[in-house]
Amino acid sequence: MDYNYEELGIPVEELFSPVDHNDLESEKITAPRYSYWHSVFRVFFKKKINIVILALLVVIILFAYIYPTIYPYDRFGNLMDSTSKHLSPGKAMAKFGHSLRWILGTGASGQSTFDAVWYGSRISISLAFVVAAINLTIGVLIGAVWGFSKKVDIIMVEVQNVIGNVPYELIISVLIMIFSSNFWTLVFAMTITGWLSIAAFIRTQVIIIRDREYNLASRCLGTSTTKIAMKNILPFMTSVIVTLLASVIPGYIGSEVFLAYIGMGLSDMSLGRLIFEAESAMVTPGWQFEFWSPVAISAIITVVLYVVGQNLGDASDPRTHM
Amino acid sequence: MTKYIIRRLIHGAISIVIVVALVMILIYALMDRNLIFASDALYTKQNNNQKTTYKCQRWEEYGYIDYVTYSDWLTELVNTGEIDADKRTSLVSIGKTADADSDEVAEYVKAFTDTYKSKGYSVKRLDAVMLSKKKVADGGNQALFAYKDIPLYHRLITYFTKLIQVDNIHNVKEDIGERKLTFTLHDPAYGGEKFSPAIMGNGTTHKYLLYFDSKFPYIHQNIVTINLGVSYSVNTGVDVFNTMSKTQGAYLKSNVIYPTGAQELSADDVHTATYSAGSLNGLAINAGRYTDDYTNVLTVKNGRSRVGYSFVFGILSIILSYAIGLPIGLLMARHKDGLIDKIGTVYIVFIISVPSLAYIFLVKAIGGSLFHLPTTFNVEATTKLMFILPIISLSLRSIGNTMRWLRRFMIDQMNADYVKFARSGGLTENEIFTKHILKNASIPIIHGIPADILFALVGALITERVYAVPGAGGLLVEAIQKYDNAVIVGVTLFYAVLTVLSYILGDVLMAMVDPRISFSDEKR
Repeated sequence: MDYNYEELGIPVEELFSPVDHNDLESEKITAPRYSYWHSVFRVFFKKKINIVILALLVVIILFAYIYPTIYPYDRFGNLMDSTSKHLSPGKAMAKFGHSLRWILGTGASGQSTFDAVWYGSRISISLAFVVAAINLTIGVLIGAVWGFSKKVDIIMVEVQNVIGNVPYELIISVLIMIFSSNFWTLVFAMTITGWLSIAAFIRTQVIIIRDREYNLASRCLGTSTTKIAMKNILPFMTSVIVTLLASVIPGYIGSEVFLAYIGMGLSDMSLGRLIFEAESAMVTPGWQFEFWSPVAISAIITVVLYVVGQNLGDASDPRTHM
Repeated sequence: MTKYIIRRLIHGAISIVIVVALVMILIYALMDRNLIFASDALYTKQNNNQKTTYKCQRWEEYGYIDYVTYSDWLTELVNTGEIDADKRTSLVSIGKTADADSDEVAEYVKAFTDTYKSKGYSVKRLDAVMLSKKKVADGGNQALFAYKDIPLYHRLITYFTKLIQVDNIHNVKEDIGERKLTFTLHDPAYGGEKFSPAIMGNGTTHKYLLYFDSKFPYIHQNIVTINLGVSYSVNTGVDVFNTMSKTQGAYLKSNVIYPTGAQELSADDVHTATYSAGSLNGLAINAGRYTDDYTNVLTVKNGRSRVGYSFVFGILSIILSYAIGLPIGLLMARHKDGLIDKIGTVYIVFIISVPSLAYIFLVKAIGGSLFHLPTTFNVEATTKLMFILPIISLSLRSIGNTMRWLRRFMIDQMNADYVKFARSGGLTENEIFTKHILKNASIPIIHGIPADILFALVGALITERVYAVPGAGGLLVEAIQKYDNAVIVGVTLFYAVLTVLSYILGDVLMAMVDPRISFSDEKR
C-alpha cells in the first residue's frame, strides 16, 4: 500500500517501518558487559582506604625513583666538613638552610640522611621487584607442572626436602664470594632457590583445584589439559598469585635488610646496609635519626606494599565482584 | 604406623646425606680456598717457600687437601720399622736443588715421589730461594711434599662413618697396661665412699663411660659420642658438638677430688676425662692430680651452652606466643569483623610485613628507655629481667602468626555442617566455639608444635645479636664468615636432622590427636 504521507499531513518519522527478520539475532541473549580486570579495579577502589594507601605507595615509589636523580646521593660530599657530621634535623637545617634534604639530619660523614634513605629505598624496592618477578614466573610455571604431574611430584618433593635444608645464608655467601656482592649477584642468589617455596605453594593450590568437579566435567567433555590449565585453573589462581606477590615483595625487602645486617648483603647503600651501618648511632643520644629513618622507611614501604597487595588480591577474587 | 615412621626416617636420612654432600660441594669446591687467609695474621708474615707450605698445612687443617711432607713420610717409615731413626736423620735433609742431593737421598726422594704419584697425589719440590751464594732467603728453605684434593665421596664417607663413635677398650693406640672395663659402686670422684655407681675404662677414649652426678639428667654416658669434626676458627681446636653444647661464662669452682685423692678448689669436671698420650708426665701439675694419662678434662662454667641459651629463650617465647596468640585468635574468629578482629588484623599486617629487624629494635628502644629494662644480656648477671625483652622480641611475630592461622582455620570451620547441627541442637555460641570449632581448628596448629620446639634449639640470629645473647643463632653465619668448614657442615647437619624430625613428629602428633588421620598402610 502506498500512501502519500505529505498529503495526509503525517510526519514520516512517527510511522513504523518494517525490520528485516534475522533468526541469528533473535537467538542472542544479552547480558551486562563483564570485564574481569575492570571489576577487579571497581572492587578495589570501592574501599576508600585503598585509594589512600595506593596514593601513598605511588608517592613512595616516585620519591624513590625520581628524588635520587634530582639530588644524587653523595656519601662523601661533606666529608671534609667536620661540623656537618651527625647533625640532628634542627641543627642540619640551621646549617644548610631549610630544605627537604636536611629534614632527617645528617649521617656519619655529613651526608644527608634523607638522600640516603631514598637512594637506599630505590635499590631495595628494585631488588624486591626483580626477585619477585623472577621467582614468581619460575615458581608458578614449575608449580603448575608439579601440581599436574604425579611423576614430577615424586621427584620435586624430594628436591624440595634436600634444597630446603641447605642453609640459605650459605648459598648466598658462597655466591657472593664467587661473584661480587653487587645487585645482580644478590638477585641471582635470592632466586636460585627462592622459586622453590613459591612452586611448592602453587603446587598445593593446583592440587586442590585440579580434581574439582568442574574440571572433571571438562575432562569428560574432552577438553585438552592445556585448555583446562589456561581457562579453568589459571583464572582461579589469579587471586592466589596476586596475594602471594603481596607477601613476597615485602618479604624480599625484609630479607635484604636481614642479609645486610648479618654482613652478607649488597655493597651498595641499600636500606639494609644503611641500617647495618647506622646501628651504632642508635645508642648515641642525638644521632638516632640516622638509624630510625631507614628503619621507619623500610617499615612503611613493606606495610604499604603488603596492604595494597592483599587488598588487590581480595579484589581479584571473582567471588567478591557480586 | 611404625613401618610408616621407619620409612619416613630412612627417606629423611637419605635427604640429610644429600644435603651434607651439597654443602660440602658448596664450601670445598665452589668457595675460593685462598679466602681463609684473608684474616690470617700469620700468613702475611710468611715468605717464599714457607708461604706455600704454610698454605698447604692450613688447607689440610681446614679439610681441603691431604698433605704429606717428605719428612712425615720418613717418620712413617721409621714407625713401620723400614728404616731406623738415625737413617731418617741422614735422609731428611734434602739438597737445595734436586742436583745437590746425595745418592741415598735421591733414591728416597724418588721412592717418595713414585709412592705418592701412584696414589694420585701431586708431588712438588721447591728449590731453595737464595739471597746470595750461601745465604738462604727468609722462609726460602727447600721443601718436598705431596698433596691431593680430597674427593667428595671420600670426604662424605669418612664424615658419616666417623659421625657416631662408640668408645671401646682398643681406642688408645699406646701401651696402657691391661685394657678393661671396671664397674664400681662407689665412684672415686666422690671420695670412694658415697654410693654412686660408675663404669670406668682403661684403653677407652673416655675414662668414665657411665656415671651419675647432680646435674640433669643425673645419669650420663660417654660410650656413644657424636663427632662432628673440630672447629678451626669459631672455637679453635674445640669439637663442633662441644662448641654448640659446652657451657659458657665464668668458671664454677667446687671442691674436686682428683684420682690421686688430692682435693682442690677447681672447675675441672673429672668425669669428662679423656686420654691424652704422655700427659701425666708432660705437665708437672698433672702428676699431683692424676694417676694415669686420662688428664684431658672439660671445665664447668656457670652459664648455659649456646644451644642451651637459645632453647631457654625459644621455649619461653613459644609458651608466650601460644598463651597470647591462641585466645586472641579465638576471640577474633568469634567476633569476626568486630573491633577486636580489626585491631588484631592491623597488628598481624604490621608484624608480618615489617622487617623483623625494625620491630626488634623498636622493642629494645621502648623497653630500654620507658621501662628501664636491661637491653643487653649478661651471662654473669643474676637478674631475670634481662630475659624479658629478648623473649618479647622473639614472640611478637609468632603471636601474629598464631593469631592469623587460628582465626583462618576457625573461620573455615564455621560453615561446616557439624557447627550447624550443634547450633540447631541448642548449644550456646561459646560452647560451639571453644568445644567444637577450636578442637578442629587447632589440628593444623598442633602439627607445627614439634617444629617450634625443636627449632627453639637453633636460636634466632637477629634477636640474639641485638641483645648480645650468647646463643646458637649466629653460629652458622659466624662460621661462614670465618670459613670454619667443619662448623658449617656440622650446623647444617644439625638443622637438617631437626627438620626431618620435626616433620615426622608433627605428623605423628597430628595422627594422635585426630583419630581420622592415619598413616598406616592397612586398608580400613
